[in-house]
Amino acid sequence: MKTAALGEFEQIVLLALLRLGDDAYGVTVCGEITRRTARDTSLGTVYKTLGRLEAKGFVATRLGEPTPQRGGRRKKLTRITPAGRRALAAALHTLRRMARGLAPAWEAP
Amino acid sequence: MSLGPQGPPQLAERLLARWLPPAEREFVLGDLEQLFREEIEPHRGPRAARRWYWQQAMLALITLHAAAPRAARPVRRGDGIMRILLQDLRYAVRMLARSPGFTAVAILTLALGIGANTAIFSVVNPILFRALPYPDGERLVMMLDDGDGGIRSTTGWATIHDIETSARSLAGMAAVGGWGPTITGDGDPELLVGQRVSHAYFGVLGVRPMLGRDFTAADDAVGGPRVVILGYGLWRRRFGGDSAIVGRTITLGGNAYAVLGVMPPRFENLLDPQAQLWRPLAYDATLPQSCRTCRHLRAVARVRADQAVTTAQREVDVISGNLARQYPTDYSSPPLGIVPLQQQVTRGVKPALLAILGAVVLVLLIACANVMSLMLARATHRETEFAIRAALGAGRTRVVRQLLTESVLLALLGGGAGLIVAHLGLEALLAMAPAGLPRLDAIRLDGGVLAFTLAVATFAGLLFGIAPAIAATRSDLHGQLKQDARRSGHGPRTTRGALVVTEVALAVVLLAGAGLLLRSLNRLLNVPPGFDTEHVLTMQVMTSGPRYRQDAAVWAFFDQALEAVQAVPGVRAAEAVSQLPLSTDFDGYGVHSLEKPRPNPSDDPGAFRYGVSAGYLAAMRIPLLRGRPLTEADRDSAPAVVLINESFAKVAWPGEDPIGQHVRIGDPSKGLWRTIVGIVGDVHQTGLDAPQGNQVYMPETQSPYGADNSMTLVIRTAGDPVALAPLVRAAVRSVDPDQPITRIASMDQIVAASSAQRRFALALFEAFALVALVLAAAGIYGVLAGMVAERTREIGIRSALGASRRELLGLVVRRGLGLTAAGVAIGTAGTLALARVLDGLLFGVGARDPVTYAAVVALLAVVALLACTLPAWRAARVDPMVALRAE
Repeated sequence: MKTAALGEFEQIVLLALLRLGDDAYGVTVCGEITRRTARDTSLGTVYKTLGRLEAKGFVATRLGEPTPQRGGRRKKLTRITPAGRRALAAALHTLRRMARGLAPAWEAP
Repeated sequence: MSLGPQGPPQLAERLLARWLPPAEREFVLGDLEQLFREEIEPHRGPRAARRWYWQQAMLALITLHAAAPRAARPVRRGDGIMRILLQDLRYAVRMLARSPGFTAVAILTLALGIGANTAIFSVVNPILFRALPYPDGERLVMMLDDGDGGIRSTTGWATIHDIETSARSLAGMAAVGGWGPTITGDGDPELLVGQRVSHAYFGVLGVRPMLGRDFTAADDAVGGPRVVILGYGLWRRRFGGDSAIVGRTITLGGNAYAVLGVMPPRFENLLDPQAQLWRPLAYDATLPQSCRTCRHLRAVARVRADQAVTTAQREVDVISGNLARQYPTDYSSPPLGIVPLQQQVTRGVKPALLAILGAVVLVLLIACANVMSLMLARATHRETEFAIRAALGAGRTRVVRQLLTESVLLALLGGGAGLIVAHLGLEALLAMAPAGLPRLDAIRLDGGVLAFTLAVATFAGLLFGIAPAIAATRSDLHGQLKQDARRSGHGPRTTRGALVVTEVALAVVLLAGAGLLLRSLNRLLNVPPGFDTEHVLTMQVMTSGPRYRQDAAVWAFFDQALEAVQAVPGVRAAEAVSQLPLSTDFDGYGVHSLEKPRPNPSDDPGAFRYGVSAGYLAAMRIPLLRGRPLTEADRDSAPAVVLINESFAKVAWPGEDPIGQHVRIGDPSKGLWRTIVGIVGDVHQTGLDAPQGNQVYMPETQSPYGADNSMTLVIRTAGDPVALAPLVRAAVRSVDPDQPITRIASMDQIVAASSAQRRFALALFEAFALVALVLAAAGIYGVLAGMVAERTREIGIRSALGASRRELLGLVVRRGLGLTAAGVAIGTAGTLALARVLDGLLFGVGARDPVTYAAVVALLAVVALLACTLPAWRAARVDPMVALRAE
């Protein structure tokens, strides 16, 4: 099956979902990315990307529980689907293959 | 877990909730709030956090709208419009940001126009348009007495009583009289403004006390209890807002009054905004002032809910006609009718306010014309841009909509800045507002005014946006692509010319208005008041308390006070009078002749009555024309004498000598016959613009109804009268420290205050005219500068072909002056047509005063020439080689 190519930020978001496990939603995804990449990430961008990934079937969502600091609103918890895992793996694999054989500094990850 | 009181900005939240796709709404709002509370607010502080929230909210809106996959978006009209609007808005913001100079000038111009409108509307709105601050206020009516030819709002007790008992369409009626008690105890003695009212007064208005109870019929009986209801302000100020005040007694004029209640802070007492306390009228119908012709009370009534106000008016007219037939010697015509209270409250100020409102609307129109002209100039430069957009598939409506979005955005920004202008303007307005302006407390920038600004701004945006938008798209878009963008079509240039003509025409209207008002004020201030106003200090002194129950005590007090004041160094003369000219004092009586009685005494002329100390006329320098002056010998025990003014002598004793004749003052059937011993010059009592009226001077000790307990001291000084005030005041206090002294002012100040309304109108017109002039000059300049820039090549050719600098200068100046002349012509015609609006505000000049118009034309010509100079200079300096190469 041919999978759609993933954009850079889509890869980053999927990686963040993998790291966050069961606690992945807008705030935490945004926080994870900001912390690890030192990029100032806006919630809007994260939503946009998650929406696109959901439309492609790479992530699935379910409702979380409301909390008071959210003004009593529920979370939209997101996890990566098997298709998402495959797509991410393929993307990273491509990257690695392209980097292989270059000067050592380029080989990671 | 407790949350801080400061959550995310509510408006941003509401915007998000409104516009986010419903499927995302809850999570996005939740995430934003969580981040806000957990991360941003604790680390960056509340201000930065709110800014952050707004940023994030806007980003989320934009990205979510733009990102939603096209196919997935339901095809709904509203959604599409929303998207287009957002797109247009974003684009508009970018366009405005790209030309900051244009944007700043446009916003500033609009801020002036919209701000001035908002400020004026804030003043006018509660007075003219908003309902009275009473439940069903439109059902409240006021009695008008048609006495002495002029309509007045005071009438007599018997008349009020008769109408109240027979009118079926009125649900309630209350009589109101003045009251000026002096309060003692609980602090310094103080003269208060109060009212004596029928017990139904508050009920008729539809208000009730906030504390305690309202008056009852038992309180309102003759010889009833001494009770009083306090106004909120007085209660807070004098009694510290003590709610235990109800039931306590306070001392007013030496008598103990029980406090029945306190009125709420929102109560506006339109019948006398200054009144701070009320007592029952408890009218004693056996007193002499209850005569049918003694008009000293006002009456307010409420029309029954099931009756129309017009029905009530007809009924009162009928009753009034019956009264006139029943008491032919008391009424020469039906005594009164009723008018809506709203109308009565605004009667004096309505013409001025409407004129000011009209003027400020003109300012806004000029501002719009100016911005429109700017936009047109810009549209010429943007023709290529529109052509490209059209080529890429934008429909004409789409381009027009884009332009309108830009202009409305500009207008809203201008409106926002205008609110600041309005706030500052309103403070200035209130600071200089004339005393007669009603409902001052209700004037403020509030929701209604905000809505007004918004409406004006949007309207202005559409107004100045529509022409450029259409002009920009009317031209052949595809043809434009091929051509040089600088070579603009004729359309916009003609339109800009027309706009300048409009601006000049509107400026003429405002300048002429300002000029006419200015000349009126000058004429008015040149009216001789009938006395010498310079170096005169005045102050009102009251006598109150048990000590002054006897007339002799009052007279003795004033004698001693005058003596003490005369001893003050710098005082040339100190005298006293019962009512001061050109103040708001108003005290008139019927004057009945012994030698020439009329069949109906109520047809006898009325006159202002002045109870004076012997030297008053001399101190005021009111000339004695014939006969003898009053002297110290004319006292209570001596034969009663009066002086009358010249006009009165001519009107009432035409072709005769009134000296030696006899008159009765007040009641025609009893009282002393007084001998006329002299004739003095006319004095303006109610205003420099009002006729002098009839005047009668008598020794205060011979007053028909006993001593006046309030007298005004008139002190002629050697130097600055105001500087002497503290010494004079101390002198009066040395006689009796407990008597309140009020209204300390020089006579010049009182004369100035009497024309305050005119000054107010004039100041506003002057401000508006100045703004109009500047904007019109900017408009002329803009058009000429644009013309020179557009025609550089032509000018260059002319120059190369040998046109002299003078000819080139003439080319530009001719265009500028041509536009101005057209504007002046139209404006003059318009002003002449509109001038009667100003009629009521003018004095001594006609609305078509040629001098004013000539001055306005000259002023505009000079300003137009100035506006021409820079563009003309530029044209004359065009280097032909550079101009030709530019092509």
